[in-house]
Amino acid sequence: MSFLPRRNPRALAVVLAVQLSTSAAWAQSSPGQTPPAATETPPPPAEAAPADTPSDAPALSAEEMAEIEKALGSDASTRARPSGDTSPVSPTATNDSGVTPLRLPNAITGGTSFLNLSFILDLAVAAFSSKEPLQGGAHDPTQNGFNLQQLELSIGSVVDPYFRFDSNIVFSQFGVEIEEAYVTTLDLPANLQVRAGQFLTRFGRLNSTHPHAWDFVDQPFVMSRVFGAEGNRGLGVEGSWLTPLPWYVEVIGSATDAKGEATARSFFGSSNERVLSPLDFQLTGAVKQFFPLSDDLSLLWGLSAATGPNPTGYRNHTSVYGTDVYLKFRPITEASAQQLVLQAEVLYRRRQAPEDLLSDWGGYAQTVWRFSNRWATGVRYEFGTPAKTQEGRVANDPLDPEWIADRQRITAAVTFWPTEFSRLRLQAATDRVGWRATPDYSAFLALEVVTGAHGAHAF
Amino acid sequence: MRSLRLFAALLAAAVSFTAAPARADLKVVTSLPDLAAVAKAVGGDKVEVVALALPTQDPHFVDAKPNLALALNRADLLITAGLDLEIGWLPSLQLGARNNKILTGNDGYLDASRFVSLQEVPTTAVDRSQGDVHPGGNPHYLYDPRQGIAVARGIEARMSQLDAKNAATYKANLAKFTQEVQAAQQGWEKRLTGLKGAPVIAYHRTTAYLQNWLGFTTVAFLEPKPGIPPNPSHIAQVLAQGKARKVKVVVKEDYYPDGTAKLVASKIPAPLIVIPGGTDFRNGQTYVQRIELLVSRLEQGLAGKAE
Repeated sequence: MSFLPRRNPRALAVVLAVQLSTSAAWAQSSPGQTPPAATETPPPPAEAAPADTPSDAPALSAEEMAEIEKALGSDASTRARPSGDTSPVSPTATNDSGVTPLRLPNAITGGTSFLNLSFILDLAVAAFSSKEPLQGGAHDPTQNGFNLQQLELSIGSVVDPYFRFDSNIVFSQFGVEIEEAYVTTLDLPANLQVRAGQFLTRFGRLNSTHPHAWDFVDQPFVMSRVFGAEGNRGLGVEGSWLTPLPWYVEVIGSATDAKGEATARSFFGSSNERVLSPLDFQLTGAVKQFFPLSDDLSLLWGLSAATGPNPTGYRNHTSVYGTDVYLKFRPITEASAQQLVLQAEVLYRRRQAPEDLLSDWGGYAQTVWRFSNRWATGVRYEFGTPAKTQEGRVANDPLDPEWIADRQRITAAVTFWPTEFSRLRLQAATDRVGWRATPDYSAFLALEVVTGAHGAHAF
Repeated sequence: MRSLRLFAALLAAAVSFTAAPARADLKVVTSLPDLAAVAKAVGGDKVEVVALALPTQDPHFVDAKPNLALALNRADLLITAGLDLEIGWLPSLQLGARNNKILTGNDGYLDASRFVSLQEVPTTAVDRSQGDVHPGGNPHYLYDPRQGIAVARGIEARMSQLDAKNAATYKANLAKFTQEVQAAQQGWEKRLTGLKGAPVIAYHRTTAYLQNWLGFTTVAFLEPKPGIPPNPSHIAQVLAQGKARKVKVVVKEDYYPDGTAKLVASKIPAPLIVIPGGTDFRNGQTYVQRIELLVSRLEQGLAGKAE
C-alpha cells in the first residue's frame, strides 16, 4: 500500500494513437499465452495417461457404495466454487458478458484469436396465477409456458494498445438489439478510464449487470419501474477514476442519452425531445468503496445519483438517488465451498411535474447462501411505494397511473450449477400488489448455459 | 464542527498513508503465493511482492476483490502462472487496475509458464465436455523444483530488464536461489526414492509435474473430469482401480474436500497425503521451505504416518 503509481507520460498521447492500431495484435497476444494450435493428427491427449480400466474393476458391495455416497455428500459443502457473477471493466462493475473467448477455428484466425466470443442462453418455463403478471424486466419470463429470456452474444477484444472493445448483442425471438457496444481506454494517466458508446450506467450494483450475473431469474421491479425494462443505459460517455486512497474508492461519472422507454423512462423516456443543452442528457455519478474486512468477509458499498430531464414541462427534471450494499462471506483460509452474500439496494426518485414534485421509494434486499459446491438458495424482498405529491398525498403518476398503493414481492430460489457454465434455477414468488384484489403467485424453472471460453468473474 | 475536524483528521491519515515513501525499487504482484515466493527469492530486498491468492484457495476460483485491483494498480510487474489457470478472475482485475504496464503483452506482464517445460499439453482439439481442461498445458508446475528454477530464471531476466540498476543483485540472488534449490533437491529425491514407479491416486490433475520429477504414476483421479466433483460411480471405479493396481498413496491439496479422498484411501488401503496447495508466503515461508514441507508430507505418507 505504500507506493504510488508511476505513470508513463506518453499515455497522454492516446488521442493521437489511433494510427498505431496496426499493432493491435501485440496488445492481445503474449508469446506465452498463445494457445497451442490443435493439430490434425489426433494421438490421445497426454492427460489420458491414467487409462481407465473398468473391465478389471472388481464390483463393490452395496455398503461400500453407500459409504462413497456419504463421503461425497460431506465433500460437497467444502469444495470451492466460483461465484456466478462477472465483471470486466472494473472489479466492481460486474457488467460484461463475463465469459471469455470461444476460440475461432484456425482457418479464420490464423492461430491467434482476436475476438472473444461467447453465447449465453436463458430459457424458462413459467406459471403465473395472474392473467397479467407484473413482470417489468425485458428479460423476465412473462407468460405461462416456455419463455426465451434472451440469447446474448458477447464480443470483446483489445483493439490496440489504447482501447478495448466490448459488446453485448441480444437476440430475442423476433429481433436483435445492441444492448451494449462500447470502447474502454487502456492507457489513460492518473488512474482514469473512459468508456464511450452504448453502455449500461453504473448506477447501483445490479443495473450494470446482465441477467446471467443475477442471482434470481427476474429483475427487481424497482429497476424496471425507475429506469425501464432494459435497465438504465444509453449512448454516451463515462469517466471513472480510481482514487489514490489506501482503500478502494472508485468515482464514476457519465453523460448518456436521456431517451428510451425501456432504458430511461423516468427521464425523456419515449418522448422525442431534442437535445438542446448539456442539461438534456442524463448525468450519472457514483462512488464505489470496497472494504476487505477480513480474508473471508468483504463489503462493497456504493452511492449513486442520476439526474436528467423529463418531458412533463420545460426544464423539468428527474433525480434518482441510490445506495447499494454487498456483503460477502466466503471462507478462503480453509477448504470450504460455503458462501453467504447479502445484497441490498434502495432507490429514491424525485420527479418535477407541472406544479408538483413527485417522490417515491423502491428497493430490494436479498441474501443468497451457497451451501455446497453446486447448490445455493436465496430469498429476496422487494418494495415500492406509490409516488407522493409534496403534500404527501398519493400522486397521479404520469408513468404508472395504476401504482396507487404499496407493492411488495417476496421471492425464493434454489440454484444448481452442474458446472460454472450452466445453472438450473427453481424460483417462486408472491407479489403483493396493493392495487390488486388478491396477491399474485408465480413459479419459474430456468436454465442458463454459457458457451465460450472461461470468463472472468467479478466481485 | 466536531465532525468536520474528524473528517480532516481522517483525510490527513489517508494522505499520510498514501504518501509513505516507496522503499522497494520494483513493486511485484503475483497471482499465486508460490510465484510470490520465487519472485521474492530473486528480488530480495529490492522488490516488494504481493500475492493475490492465498495458499488455502483453489487458484482456479479466486474472488476478484477490488482491493486486489488496487495492488495491481500500483504494480510494476505482474507474474501469472498462465495457461488459463487464473482466467476466471485475473482479467477483470487487470482491466480494472488502470495500469497499462501490467496488461497482457506489456513488459510488466510476465507469464511464468513460458519458462516451463510443459506437461499434458493436449495434442487434440479440446472442448468443455472434457471438463475444465487447460488447452495450453497443465498449469500446476511449481510442485517441481526444477521448474521453480526455470521460472526464477525468467523472473530474473524480466526484473533485470525493468530495473537495470539492480540487475547484479537479481543475478546474484538467482544464483543463490538456484544453488539452494539444487542442493536441497538431491536430498528430496533421495528421501522419496520410494515413490519411483509407485501408482498414485490424486484428486485433481495437479500431479503432472510432481510425477515427472519423482517418477511415480498417477493411475486415477478422484474427479471424473477436471473440475467436475467426484460422483459415486466414478469413485467406485477409482477404488477398484486403486485396489487392482495396489496404489501406494492418495494425494490431494489442502483446498480440496477430504471426505472422498479419506474414504478411498482407507478402502484401498493406502495413506492419504494432504499436500499444501501453495507457499504460505504471507507468513514468510520460502519456496524451498514449501517444497521441503511437500516432500516431508510425502515422506511421512510413504512411511505410513499420514494423517
